[in-house]
Amino acid sequence: MKRKITELIIILFFYLMQVSAARVISIANISPNWLIILPVFFGFFCGKNDGMFVGFFSGIMYDLFYSGLFGFTALVFIYIGYFSGFFYQKYEVREILIPLALVITADFGYGFISYIGNFLLHNRLNVGFFMSRFILPEVVYTALVSLLIYHPVHYFCTITEPGRERKKKGKIDEGNI
Amino acid sequence: MRKNISSLMTSKNILIALTVLCCFFIGTSFFTDTLTKPLKKCVSMVVVPVQKGMNNIGFWVYDKYQTLQEISVVLDENKNLQSQVDELTEENNQLKQDSYELNRLRDLYELDQQYAGYSKVGARVIEVTTDNWHSSFKIDKGTDDGLKVDMNVIASGGLVGIISETGSNYSIVKTITENNSNVSGMLIDTNETCIVQGDIELMDTGMIRVAHFKSDVIVRNGDKVVTSNISDKYLQGILIGYVKDVKLDSNNLTQSGYIVPAVDFNNLQEVLVITQLKE
Repeated sequence: MKRKITELIIILFFYLMQVSAARVISIANISPNWLIILPVFFGFFCGKNDGMFVGFFSGIMYDLFYSGLFGFTALVFIYIGYFSGFFYQKYEVREILIPLALVITADFGYGFISYIGNFLLHNRLNVGFFMSRFILPEVVYTALVSLLIYHPVHYFCTITEPGRERKKKGKIDEGNI
Repeated sequence: MRKNISSLMTSKNILIALTVLCCFFIGTSFFTDTLTKPLKKCVSMVVVPVQKGMNNIGFWVYDKYQTLQEISVVLDENKNLQSQVDELTEENNQLKQDSYELNRLRDLYELDQQYAGYSKVGARVIEVTTDNWHSSFKIDKGTDDGLKVDMNVIASGGLVGIISETGSNYSIVKTITENNSNVSGMLIDTNETCIVQGDIELMDTGMIRVAHFKSDVIVRNGDKVVTSNISDKYLQGILIGYVKDVKLDSNNLTQSGYIVPAVDFNNLQEVLVITQLKE
């Protein structure tokens, strides 16, 4: 429960970063996609279920005000959280390249899907322009941001881990025996 | 019983359940927004005050930064300005006489008078879209301040866009540079109509596309385009921008080109909402 509430607060904070701070930190009108980082990291650090939970709510926040297709981003983010959950507990925390690669794949995939939905189906066939002007810069910027917030997010995951106290107790008992 | 429920809660089942839920959301979003309305209200209750605070902090920091930077410049400037004041007093007297004449001419110029006569409400931009494709933004006034959907939004004398959605303490403004936005415009001097179309591929140039001028209309660079009288949502005579490079289309029937908008869309801080709807 504690973890779920923490996750919701983090989502709200990242939403604010994405929509309000975007005008300040955007480079050439491109701002990073903060919300897509969350399902990837929580899936990686805390498992599939948390990845899906975070993906659902951050997707809902992403869609809430500006999307004509409410729920679509949530759907994509749930799958992102689920698939990054496959890597849960498979790697060490210091192996930062794995989650980074996940973020890059996820953002590129989501960018490409939204290009198809918003523009390709409206006869905008200029893929090169949209790739080089929107999708790839966003991927690079998002990857940079995800490097910065990697350790803070991991810290939140460890301090809110369910059964953290119990584990500690178990270790003490082992020592006594 | 309890064990049964928890054994059903595998991640695969949760994934299927959430997928179905999202598909349900997507399906309903085609027809109605009653599902999202209460959610939007809750979120905006929490988020908008925080954003206003963030905005104020931003303004404060920027202000202090500017002051520090300017102090040394200001001292130098003060000397120069003193000498300018004398010159300007003389000039001012002359301008006062001109302004009487201007007022008289303005009365004659009906369009301009109409434009100045709209009542407006100022609002601050507090949020931009979550993605980079769109250029809508959110302002910090809503139905509580008397704003309604389809009210026109202007800034620095030019058209910014139209309100596409309102909540109790926020409104969402769809700009004219947005992809697929269409505004009916006209040349200010000849009343020849055209269509102003937002286009994302022109984003770097800062221009908007303009199309559907008749082939026999003479359009010069720098001609003013304003919102037209035939539009059913935009009030008549709001400046959109200045025409550039209009050429005959390959069909030989219409002409199209670009418009340099009167508003700087990259640095919008405050906008004015015209609280009058076109009936």
